[in-house]
Amino acid sequence: MEELIEILEEINPETDYAVCRNLVDDGILTSFELVMLVTQINDTFGVSIPPAWIVPENFNSAAAIFEMIQRLEEGE
Amino acid sequence: MFLVSYEFVLFFAAVLVLYYGVAGRFQWIVLLLSSYLFYAQGGIGYLFYPVFTTVTTWFLAGAIGSMSRKSKAWIKENNPGREEKKEHNRLVKRSQRRIMVLGLVLNFGILAVLKYFNFLLENVNIFLHGAGAEGEFVFVNWLLPLGISYYTFQSMGYLIDVYYRKYEPEKNLARFALFVSFFPQLVAGPISRFEQLKDSLYANHRLQLRNIRLGAERMLWGYFKKLVIADRLGPAVSVIIGDPQTYDGIYVFLGMVGYTLWMYADFAGGIDIVLGAARMLDISLPENFDRPFLSKSLGEFWRRWHMTLMLWLREYIFFPVSTSRLAKSGSKLAGIVSGKKAAGRIPVYMATLTVWFVAGIWHGASWKFAAWGMMNGAVLLISQELTPWYRNFHDAHGFVKTRMYSWFQIVRTFLLFACLEMFEYYSFGRVFFMLRSLVCSSSLSQLGDGRFEALGLKGADLLVLGAGIFAMAGSGFFKDQKSAGEWMEKRPVFARYGLIFGMFLLVLVTGVYGRGYDASQFIYNQF
Amino acid sequence: MKGRTILWFGILLPVSAAVLFLLQRLLVPKYMGRVVEGAFIEEYYDEKSPHDVIILGDCEVYENLSPAVLWREYGITSYIRGSAQQLIPQSYYILEDTLKSETPGAVVVSVSAMQQYEQDNETYNRMTLDGMRWSASKLRSIRATMMEDEHLIEYVFPILRFHSRWRELEEDDFRYFWDRRQVTHSGYYMRADVRPAGEFPAERRRSNYAFDDRAWQYLEKIRLLCQEKGITLILMKAPSLYPAWHEQWEQQIEDYAGQHGLMYVNCIEQKDDIGIDFSTDTYDGGLHMNVYGAEKMSRYFGEIFAQVPGVGNWPEGGSVSEIWEEKCRFYDEMKASQEEEFGRLGYLSQFAGE
Repeated sequence: MEELIEILEEINPETDYAVCRNLVDDGILTSFELVMLVTQINDTFGVSIPPAWIVPENFNSAAAIFEMIQRLEEGE
Repeated sequence: MFLVSYEFVLFFAAVLVLYYGVAGRFQWIVLLLSSYLFYAQGGIGYLFYPVFTTVTTWFLAGAIGSMSRKSKAWIKENNPGREEKKEHNRLVKRSQRRIMVLGLVLNFGILAVLKYFNFLLENVNIFLHGAGAEGEFVFVNWLLPLGISYYTFQSMGYLIDVYYRKYEPEKNLARFALFVSFFPQLVAGPISRFEQLKDSLYANHRLQLRNIRLGAERMLWGYFKKLVIADRLGPAVSVIIGDPQTYDGIYVFLGMVGYTLWMYADFAGGIDIVLGAARMLDISLPENFDRPFLSKSLGEFWRRWHMTLMLWLREYIFFPVSTSRLAKSGSKLAGIVSGKKAAGRIPVYMATLTVWFVAGIWHGASWKFAAWGMMNGAVLLISQELTPWYRNFHDAHGFVKTRMYSWFQIVRTFLLFACLEMFEYYSFGRVFFMLRSLVCSSSLSQLGDGRFEALGLKGADLLVLGAGIFAMAGSGFFKDQKSAGEWMEKRPVFARYGLIFGMFLLVLVTGVYGRGYDASQFIYNQF
Repeated sequence: MKGRTILWFGILLPVSAAVLFLLQRLLVPKYMGRVVEGAFIEEYYDEKSPHDVIILGDCEVYENLSPAVLWREYGITSYIRGSAQQLIPQSYYILEDTLKSETPGAVVVSVSAMQQYEQDNETYNRMTLDGMRWSASKLRSIRATMMEDEHLIEYVFPILRFHSRWRELEEDDFRYFWDRRQVTHSGYYMRADVRPAGEFPAERRRSNYAFDDRAWQYLEKIRLLCQEKGITLILMKAPSLYPAWHEQWEQQIEDYAGQHGLMYVNCIEQKDDIGIDFSTDTYDGGLHMNVYGAEKMSRYFGEIFAQVPGVGNWPEGGSVSEIWEEKCRFYDEMKASQEEEFGRLGYLSQFAGE
């Protein structure tokens, strides 16, 4: 989780990721930033996120992103 | 039959009567038949294209769906181990992917042939000519079906969603046919998504006067934008942008602002008509514009202009390209060569340029549009690179929080967009030339030198145009359609009716439609 | 619910309809200035006199016959239901429309329109069709002669056609908002100016001289309708020097008239008998007659009409006679005034720049 927050803050340092639950819907994470995030998650956690998973529900909060990573790690 | 014609208004009125006249379970059938009738207006042959897309997409999506179902059943029955399950999934996915690719090739293939074949020939001819060849290929005159880009994108979105297992494919071919060819949206979008549209498209709808009223109001507003503003502005703008030799200096600015407003009034007006018509049928289509001219950056602008296309491109091109194997290996390579920062950029750059190339040629089959797309992509990437600098700047200066600064950003974004639009109508090199002319040799006195009169906008037209654009800008005070509708509903009944009737009269009288009255036509000759 | 119904049907809808009606009235052209031809067809409905003779056709009738002379010298009441470039089908439907309110003894049809079945200028359609009173005849006339890019609905609601006139409204649009000025003399368009006949381009050969089948059909419909009502049908070709009236056309009409026992008068051939002098009797160099030519024509046709059974013989001092005395007064007045102006200026200011 900490690693994830670190990545997020590197991409956009102006947001409090512990609180915010509308990262995508409110446009805090733009498409560019989403892709950067996906690339970094790929490198850091060694999971590859299929394009179908890049939907607001999976990226709206740090918790959701983390949960998604776990699901991917389990190899669903 | 287009959205702005007597025929469409009469046709739609007849459809409405029939739609609310039949039992609810037949309503979608009325819509399907009306859609095909609408489509066949231009000639029965045109029906071939949407029917082809409908049948192939439905069949292939159905095949993908049944493979998913069988695979689930197999897993449930045999309860395989982790490795075995993975292997099974991989195999299923692979065959499903083949089916999906077949569907994409078939349908985008038709689109490519119809829209881009002549573009290709043109380039082949130029190439041959350059190589000294004598003859050239003759362009093919295809029957270009109405709205083919829209329904092809919409159908392919569906096919990809089924492949991604976002939802089950539609079982009924006729119902799916309606999704592809639903007539108000067929001509100019919006590009809908199946899971959002299906519930209201196939449901039973009871006649509610409120829907009729709100829908009609919105259609009227759309006709206002289209007939009073766009069709009045269009011819004048065409003169400016079509003759850059004559129209330089300040006219470059007029052309660029005029072109942008024209595009918006024309396109957003069309969308208002479509969404209003759908509302009258009690069907909600996605919005396509969210007051784009209030955007503070180009990125934001493209999230608020032609939204359904941009979402489509984002979902089905931007994300898949950026997570593709190619992007990943490119990223790895860049990481080794020049560090982590570069590695993160490769997928973004690849995906952005692909999206904007597609967006460019989506708007028109020519190098101008391709250039326009690439320039948009380039500007977006540059501003992305400048983001940290902006953040520092914003942190360091308090005035960026003021309203003035917001307005500055809004105007800047508008001008940036309008400036990029120049790539659509001038050749690549000329854009810079014209920009120089604008910056170096503009003066207000150029407006009085007879070139303006040649645009054909008389005093009364300018007045109407100015008032129309003012009204259009004023409508930006409403957050969205809903709040505009609610505001209207709070007016006393006479005021509300007066507003609507006044708007109707304005469109009726000052709209640019039909045969212009030209007194000289009445000069008596011979008979 | 009830209050709402009253609001809608008692106030909003009638008020809106009234506003639309007034707006339309304001925006349609009034045809009271230089171009008056668009006002002709409608003027007929103000007529109070019954008619012995109804004359149908294009400018070859409404500038070439003077009903005032026919009355004064032959005691015949007549009306010209002519309009610019009136097509044969339009003549037929105007006849249908006229026969709803009266049955004349004779009908005259100008055959020059046989050479063209399809309208080539929307303006002329509007000038002929807009003036007709609404009836099945008007509807059928519109459907039969509408050009490809015209729309029926623009005839039902002329505001859709003329809305763009909001930019060029003129004084006449307000002055003649309710009532139009009378511009014709029982359908006759008076011109007292003179321009002698000049040179015309040589007759151009055509590849095909046969009239359109559909034009024949409508001429036949006119004939049958007259036959059914016991009306004597007379065909005429006006004495114009241009455009050419080809020998082949003449032959077809003569054959048709002969075949059905109709009277056909070609005034080009009869011009010496009529006494037309192309140096004084035309106002536009030989295309159309001026009032002097038209009066000569009327005397020639007066003799013919007088032979038709049941034509003329109106009691002296009766109401019909009173109406016509008034018409003649208006006629003489306008003629005198145009003559005075032409003598003074050498042109008529109403039509200056024509």
